[in-house]
Amino acid sequence: MKLDPSIIARIQFAFTVSFHIIFPTMSIGLASFLAVIEALWLKTKKPVYLEIYKFWLSIFAMGFGIGVVTGIVLSFEFGLGFARFAQMAGPAIGPLIALEVLTAFFLEAGFLGIMLFGLHRVGPKLHFFATCMVAIGTLISASWILSANSWMQTPAGVAIRDGHLTVLSWRHVLVNPSWLYRLPHMLTAAYLTASFMVAGVGAWYLLKGKHQHFARRTLALGTAFGTVLIAGQVFIGDILYGTMLKYQPSKMQAAEGFWEKQSQSPAPYYWFIVPDQNNQRNRFQLGIPYLGSIWLTHSLNGRVEGLRNTPRDFQPRMGMVFYAFRIMYGLAMVMFAVGVASLWLRFRGKLFSSRWFLWILVFMTPSGIIATLAGWYVAETGRQPWVIYGVLRTVDAISPVPAQALLSTLIAFVCVYAVFITAFLVFAFRIIRRGPGEVPPHAEASGSVKNAFRPYVLDSPERLVNSSITQRS
Amino acid sequence: MGNSSKLHRLQSMTAALVGVFFFNAIVGVFGLRLAIAGLAAFVLGAVVVCVAFPAQGAES
Repeated sequence: MKLDPSIIARIQFAFTVSFHIIFPTMSIGLASFLAVIEALWLKTKKPVYLEIYKFWLSIFAMGFGIGVVTGIVLSFEFGLGFARFAQMAGPAIGPLIALEVLTAFFLEAGFLGIMLFGLHRVGPKLHFFATCMVAIGTLISASWILSANSWMQTPAGVAIRDGHLTVLSWRHVLVNPSWLYRLPHMLTAAYLTASFMVAGVGAWYLLKGKHQHFARRTLALGTAFGTVLIAGQVFIGDILYGTMLKYQPSKMQAAEGFWEKQSQSPAPYYWFIVPDQNNQRNRFQLGIPYLGSIWLTHSLNGRVEGLRNTPRDFQPRMGMVFYAFRIMYGLAMVMFAVGVASLWLRFRGKLFSSRWFLWILVFMTPSGIIATLAGWYVAETGRQPWVIYGVLRTVDAISPVPAQALLSTLIAFVCVYAVFITAFLVFAFRIIRRGPGEVPPHAEASGSVKNAFRPYVLDSPERLVNSSITQRS
Repeated sequence: MGNSSKLHRLQSMTAALVGVFFFNAIVGVFGLRLAIAGLAAFVLGAVVVCVAFPAQGAES
């Protein structure tokens, strides 16, 4: 069987970047959440806020570590799988990534140690300052990366001369047409991810009848933040949709599932299609009448432009873009409904006692991560067949590397990342199962290597008690 | 079905309809100006509800 290096390179990058994006999304959201919680603790001096801070700090630390490591891999992959892209886009993308390291990484690295290990070593105000610096660092990091990726979506401020890319205006490279909308969209996605995680864990404790005080406070905070944020996210998403319709019409045409140059009037809103890319039609489609016109053209009888408006050679694969968009948008609608329900239950004083709602929150715990992943699939698969929209095609960006080399590194990545995700999930579930306020003293983050290798660091309190009884006898 | 149950069901349906209206307003079905107004009203309403009804047992 002959392997196609361009396919393997794309699968490899898709796999590693999908894995990576989970962790920055969590850490951007949790860093700001921790800053808010520490501010509340400093202001009110209520111990529950310190409990919440310590609990989520452990999960944040693990996610942050994995996010940094898997992010570094992506830079190397530019060379491994996409050397021609790196060669061409280097003058525009390279400085942005270097600036991310110089500004965000240095800031985060400088204060992360104080945030993780300094709670009992520095004053509370200095510790709060460190938490804020780490949170700001994650925002700066996201800004640079979104600027680079948005430039690939809507390139500006450059000229191609003799096959080489020259930057004409750094301002236009940085503040390219989609960055101003994609950055708040991504940041809000990260905050939503953290809000639903926090609310979901609180709901789980309430269902189990454990850690009531902690659970009520986290659930109340998570649902309040989530409700406000999802409204903002829906608004930003709609503005971004209009922007991308202007700059990347093929992406939005694929996202809506229409092939015809002009859809029927009134247009339905499709929720399920079986696209046939070769024959430029849907084999099957299922939608809600009128809703396509209402949502997409803001009129009762508006027509929607289909993918046939884009020449075949420049069309993305409809199925991938369509379903990624439906997952993202569908989850946004569910989140909005959960937000409205939480306000209603809060008003009726039943936020903590409605078991059906608590179960919904538990199931919604990973919803932010899933929606963010789906959103990135829309962005990246919808840009195809371009890697830099309208400038460089993906097939022309691949490294001249044998497919076997790419396949072997892909297998290695899958194996290593399987260990990462297993370790993360095992430790995260153990922290959640153990609960807040039950941390044995030596399991507190101390920065000591000796402590890190103690056998009971993340063990259950029961085993610790049994162990100490055995030792005494 | 008791009167209180009917009232509860009616209130829940009203809340759901208000939610659907706000969602459509925010996604721009009624135009950009109403989208901004809808967003501002929803966020303000949510903040007022969260502050006025801090959820029993969450505060102590």
